[in-house]
Amino acid sequence: MYRIIIIIAMLILIAGSAMGETYAEAFQSANKQYESKHFEQAISKYNEILGTGFESSAIYFNLGNAYFKKGDLGNAIVNYRRAERLDPTDDDIAENLSFARNYTAIQMEGVELNPIRNFIAVTLKPYQLNLLAWVSSLCFIFLMILLTVRFGLGFKNRTLRGSIVAGITLLLVVSLLTTYKYRIDYLTDYAVLVAEDVPIHTGPTNASDIELQGMPGMEVEILSASGDYYNVLFENKRRGWVHKELVAVI
Amino acid sequence: MLSLRPDSRIIFLLALLSVCLVSSLSATDEVAQIKVSLDRDTIGLDEQAIMIVEISGTAQNLPRPILPTLGMFEVYSQGRSSNVSIYNGKVESTVTYRYMVLPQRAGTFPIRGVALVHKNKRYEGNPVELTVISQGTSASKDLQNKLEDSKGKSRDYYMDAVVSNKNPYVNQQVTLTLKIYFAVQTYGSPELSEPSTTGFWTEIVGNKAPYLQKIKGRRYKVIERKYALFPTQTGKLTIGRAILSATVARRRTRKDPFDVFGMFGSGEEVKMRTIPVDIEVKKLPTSGRPKDFTGTIGRFTITATANKRKVDVNQPVSVTFRINGTGNIKSVAAPILPDMKEFRIYRASSSENISKVDDKIGGTKIFEEVFIPKVPGQLTIPSLSFNYFDPDKGRYEIASTKPITLHVSKPEGYVADPEVPYAEPEMTIGANANDIRHIKNDPGELKQADQLILLKPLYLVVNSIPVILLAGMIAFRIRREKLAGDIGYARSRSASKMARKRLSTAKAKAQVETSTEFYAELSFAVLSYVSDKLNISPHGLTTEKLALLLREKSAEEQLISDVSEFLKQCDFARFAPSAVDQAKITASLADAEFLIVRIEGVSCV
Repeated sequence: MYRIIIIIAMLILIAGSAMGETYAEAFQSANKQYESKHFEQAISKYNEILGTGFESSAIYFNLGNAYFKKGDLGNAIVNYRRAERLDPTDDDIAENLSFARNYTAIQMEGVELNPIRNFIAVTLKPYQLNLLAWVSSLCFIFLMILLTVRFGLGFKNRTLRGSIVAGITLLLVVSLLTTYKYRIDYLTDYAVLVAEDVPIHTGPTNASDIELQGMPGMEVEILSASGDYYNVLFENKRRGWVHKELVAVI
Repeated sequence: MLSLRPDSRIIFLLALLSVCLVSSLSATDEVAQIKVSLDRDTIGLDEQAIMIVEISGTAQNLPRPILPTLGMFEVYSQGRSSNVSIYNGKVESTVTYRYMVLPQRAGTFPIRGVALVHKNKRYEGNPVELTVISQGTSASKDLQNKLEDSKGKSRDYYMDAVVSNKNPYVNQQVTLTLKIYFAVQTYGSPELSEPSTTGFWTEIVGNKAPYLQKIKGRRYKVIERKYALFPTQTGKLTIGRAILSATVARRRTRKDPFDVFGMFGSGEEVKMRTIPVDIEVKKLPTSGRPKDFTGTIGRFTITATANKRKVDVNQPVSVTFRINGTGNIKSVAAPILPDMKEFRIYRASSSENISKVDDKIGGTKIFEEVFIPKVPGQLTIPSLSFNYFDPDKGRYEIASTKPITLHVSKPEGYVADPEVPYAEPEMTIGANANDIRHIKNDPGELKQADQLILLKPLYLVVNSIPVILLAGMIAFRIRREKLAGDIGYARSRSASKMARKRLSTAKAKAQVETSTEFYAELSFAVLSYVSDKLNISPHGLTTEKLALLLREKSAEEQLISDVSEFLKQCDFARFAPSAVDQAKITASLADAEFLIVRIEGVSCV
């Protein structure tokens, strides 16, 4: 019995290392294409790795660079944003994303951000959702230990009571922040306009009037979908319908 | 006396002049204009005209107009109405005064000198002229004929359809006026079935305030309803019948003996129909037609304004093109922009605002274009032309904007290649741009896409462990406190344990030599197990009492009998030890263990 378990474990390890090697090789191969200024081929290779269902911030970052060098601003920004979601603390990603955004020709006017929401968003930006989830978990465990000491072991004193109140408050705050981050990162869909000319319609059909002209690199929030169109919200709260093929979801 | 040097005097005079100029300009701004108009320019001697004085400006409290002495008229005020609009952040208000003008004698009389005084400045309105006909009617011969029936009697009611132009150009406005004449009293509100206007784009201008008109000695109340029609095709078009249903006072043929004072007039429902009107729509002339003519008819002006004149490269400038005038504003197309290599141009939005002035449809159409300069320097958005056909002049006209000059500078901190900084978008963000940070050589940790720790079993297990710990500790504490506070509960919970202990003690004495002690211990083990379970003292507990207690707890009779028999055997063995052998001792120990298990199965024990 033990022998079978050991053999299975070894097989899993070998398969894992083989897969890792293939991935690393494919990544280096894509990088070589990039270095040789074969950006189309590099994009294709990076996309092949992502096609396996695995991802990393480095792949998205390099893919964003390849798109940028190719002159595809919209797809460059999409991939920088995807990289940023996986690693919000990476300085290179932030720098290239900011640089690419400089080329977005239209800067939205009339943007009025809620100062509290903006503060929370900026504060949470460097932290991944998984990290916040673990912090919430730690706070929860800490509170459970305090409650165990108080109600399980029957200890009573002012310090313990104060610690419990502080623990509940801390857990509430961290849980709310985690929920907010979850909502922003996973429950809200964002997209980037990737086509050169993106007509924003007043309705979900091609026959609808054109509300405004979008440009590659503009980021929108997806509110809903109808047929081949997304109902999108721009930063300045203007809404419109855009064909799904003209945007890439982050 | 204040004395000034010559230089100071000049400065003082210039300052004074500036103040006067500024104050006069601001005053001019506050009251824009006074417009005087009449609802009709010809009336009969027994008729009335309405004079409308419209004062517009930015002042909040526009004063009342001062009317000149009009000796040949009696003038009565009919009230005022005001309208405030906010446009481009400026508040504009319009106050309209209405006056009823009743002529005293026939002739043509100019009305001039309608004025107002605001901040010591006098503003005067335009002169108008009113002709009063001595025959007592201003109605045309044609209308007089229409208001006679076949017997030559004047009609009590009549509806007429009049068009302003029976031979318009395509898309030129034709004003259709429905005139309803009542010489008798009406009851309730008349119901109008609108005329069919197939082949026209129709806009209802509205109803005019009713007025009185004397025709062939009879006084009619006249109601006018106007439509603006824009023919959308050439050739013959027909405006259909309008039908009006109204309840009018019945004409009395003989005197009603009960209607002594003529107070009880009865109503009669009548229907009026207009005669269909044929319109012959002309084509637009081909001579002089501009190549980029888009079919706009009317009279328009165009202006262009930029929201800023100083801008960085790649930053948008919003330019608003405003086309204003009379005509079918809906058909106005966006101005055609020339090819401008220095800019990227995007259509941001368009909007229209339809207005009605003097029965004419017009308004403003606004096109907003975003210009994004690609290169630094002084760039010019050239003059844009807008073509339209003026039907009054019968020729094509061109309206143009003024050129807009933009000062475009390089953005601060921009680090693109200085050789090709802003040449073409492809160059800027294409293969030659080396200013992004280089690709990563370390592929990093490979993760399954969209794997959230929140949904992983590890996360759920880690978070559930402290909950289980807390629940366990609380349960343990509750049990401990119950054991400490409730002796009966504690004895009941420990009964099995104590019984096992006593059986173990008895087992140690399970020898023929110590059979007396063995059976005493065995008997006590069973008795004390039951007494612990029931929280009573084992001392003084007899076999009969034990049987009684077990019966109360609904134990089976067989069990009660077996327990009683077992205790009797124990007593017998204690007092007659010679009859005991080792096999019997072993069997008794097994019987005791089995009895305790059976008693444990009894509910409430």
